[in-house]
Amino acid sequence: MMDGILLGAATAFSMYNILMVIIGCFAGTFIGMIPGLGPISAIALMIPITYGMDPSSGLILISGVYYGAIFGGSTSSILINAPGVAGTVATSFDGYPMAQKGQAGKALAIAAYASFSGGTIAAIFLLIAAPALASVSLSFQSSDYFALMVLGLTAVAAFAGKGKFLKAAIMTIFGLMLATVGTDSDSGIARFTFGRMDLIDGISFLLLAMAAFALSEALMNVLENHKVSKQEEDELKKDIGTLKLTKQEVKEIIPTIGRSSVLGFFVGVLPGAGATIASFLAYGMERSFASAKDKLGFGKGSLKGLAAPESANNAACTGSFVPLLTLGIPGSGTTAIILGALLSYGIQPGPTMYIDNPALFWSVIISMYVGNFVLLVLNLPLIPYIAKLLAVPKQLLLPLIMFFSLVGVYLVTFNNFDIYMMTTFAVVALFLRIVDFPMAPMILGFILGGMMEDNLRRALTISDGSISFLWERPITLSILILTIVLLLMPLISEFLAKMKKRKES
Amino acid sequence: MTKNRIGSLFFLAFSTFYFYRVFSIKKMPGNQFEIMTASTFPFYIAITGIAISIILIILSFIEKDQAKLSLQYIKSLDLKTTLYFILAMFFYGFTMKAWGFIIATAVFLAIGFLILKEKSLKKILIISISVSVGFYLLLNNVMGVYIDAGDLIDNLVGAIS
Repeated sequence: MMDGILLGAATAFSMYNILMVIIGCFAGTFIGMIPGLGPISAIALMIPITYGMDPSSGLILISGVYYGAIFGGSTSSILINAPGVAGTVATSFDGYPMAQKGQAGKALAIAAYASFSGGTIAAIFLLIAAPALASVSLSFQSSDYFALMVLGLTAVAAFAGKGKFLKAAIMTIFGLMLATVGTDSDSGIARFTFGRMDLIDGISFLLLAMAAFALSEALMNVLENHKVSKQEEDELKKDIGTLKLTKQEVKEIIPTIGRSSVLGFFVGVLPGAGATIASFLAYGMERSFASAKDKLGFGKGSLKGLAAPESANNAACTGSFVPLLTLGIPGSGTTAIILGALLSYGIQPGPTMYIDNPALFWSVIISMYVGNFVLLVLNLPLIPYIAKLLAVPKQLLLPLIMFFSLVGVYLVTFNNFDIYMMTTFAVVALFLRIVDFPMAPMILGFILGGMMEDNLRRALTISDGSISFLWERPITLSILILTIVLLLMPLISEFLAKMKKRKES
Repeated sequence: MTKNRIGSLFFLAFSTFYFYRVFSIKKMPGNQFEIMTASTFPFYIAITGIAISIILIILSFIEKDQAKLSLQYIKSLDLKTTLYFILAMFFYGFTMKAWGFIIATAVFLAIGFLILKEKSLKKILIISISVSVGFYLLLNNVMGVYIDAGDLIDNLVGAIS
């Protein structure tokens, strides 16, 4: 194995391949910033360019684009509340409020540091345990995935303030309902399409996320029409591009980044789970771990709330390479495209890949670390300039945000029905915002809905209709117990606090 | 009325409508032998949705300290401008196919700037035209994503060349 690692390092650190990482990260960041063009589009755009390259260089370029696009997606989430990729939805929960408070530069810097740390920790894990982890990802069955989805849904508790759990729950149900629109994946029967062909493929995630976050936020700005005085505006813009973090702030986010990176990596290893669930779980976990005082800051610009999903989604991206490289199973749409690229080079990923093609296998893993470093070096100097985007006057910025959101969705299908549907959803989201119903649980329910139904159906079929699958497998049972503990955690901590108070008095 | 009650009534109506529509999901022959059909999952989430909405409505009557949607707040909202924007977005969707990307985008952006009372006509024209043309060129020529410029622009470019 050591020989393979050394061979991979020599390949990854060649001047040409380092240049490929730099180009990949830069192109990926740029493409990822445009709503509608996520990592899948970015990689698909790069594949024809990589045809003439050596497989290692081609794959290194593609990996760089992947990371860059995820980071670029975080930038649009933070600055204009437009998460173009599902994995960066959770980033906007605290990133956008920070940008609103005039701390856009700081938010982008935390995103960069967290992404770098998440990617680095995950790359080290990958280096040490990639072949061994392959068997872990294979041991997961549909009942375990179903339990994992339920665990993912418990993250709604993180978006529910005191007494708001039911509101978060109904929004999750709303998301689950929207996820059932379209063709049923098992039977092929159309559901809730009202006879319209435009709905046969269901509602796209991008459409819903853009409508619920970016468009409704822009409309809310128009609706409430807050007049900000020149002095207040200057005060807000004063530190907009500052990247400085205090010692206290760094201390605060280091444990968060560590925990979320490990969680993100292991969730990323599971095929189908990916960066989205990882980021939501990390956000939920951090909120559960936070003190009562810190909890109040979540959703309002909490540093931990930003660092957690950012490190988790990057770590999960790295983790998703485990099933791809070691088993040949693409865990997500993006890794499926990468698998296609590998096959076009005549390379069949699988358990023997690291023996048959050690230079390629290890160089890709090592270049992931290089890619994370390049992303940090490349993006930090650009942050003050990117953050200045928010200094554009509101009367020019808002129509531009609406344009980028609408066109981002239009670019996927080239169907103007999507623009009508998106506008309608934005109006509904605006109404729900006015009556204080949180948007995040709806997106969470929507993302997990399809996967949850598929895995429940599979698990029930395997167990012949019995719900005993919930407790028969140790993995399923452990995840479900963890879910219950997480749900009861607020009650337990409240009870413990009361006990402590009583003892003191 | 409290915000919670308004929201809950909306969800009760939505969940009830959804529940009603569950019964119009087609059944395949032999469905009775299936463990889970296309309507099983929607059926249970509809029931959960209705149950949570009802609990929320009941709570909105029991809990006294819930936030209210005041008339004063509604009066402070700029409903007219928001409505113009919503109409502009529908209009953009309508013109995208008819006028093509470049003209539809330039018009949408110009309308947006005007709605928000941007006074400089020069700024409006420069930004709306440069963004639509620039984005079109970026997509078509750099990223290889084909997007229709519109018949008018195509004919114009054809006539010039």
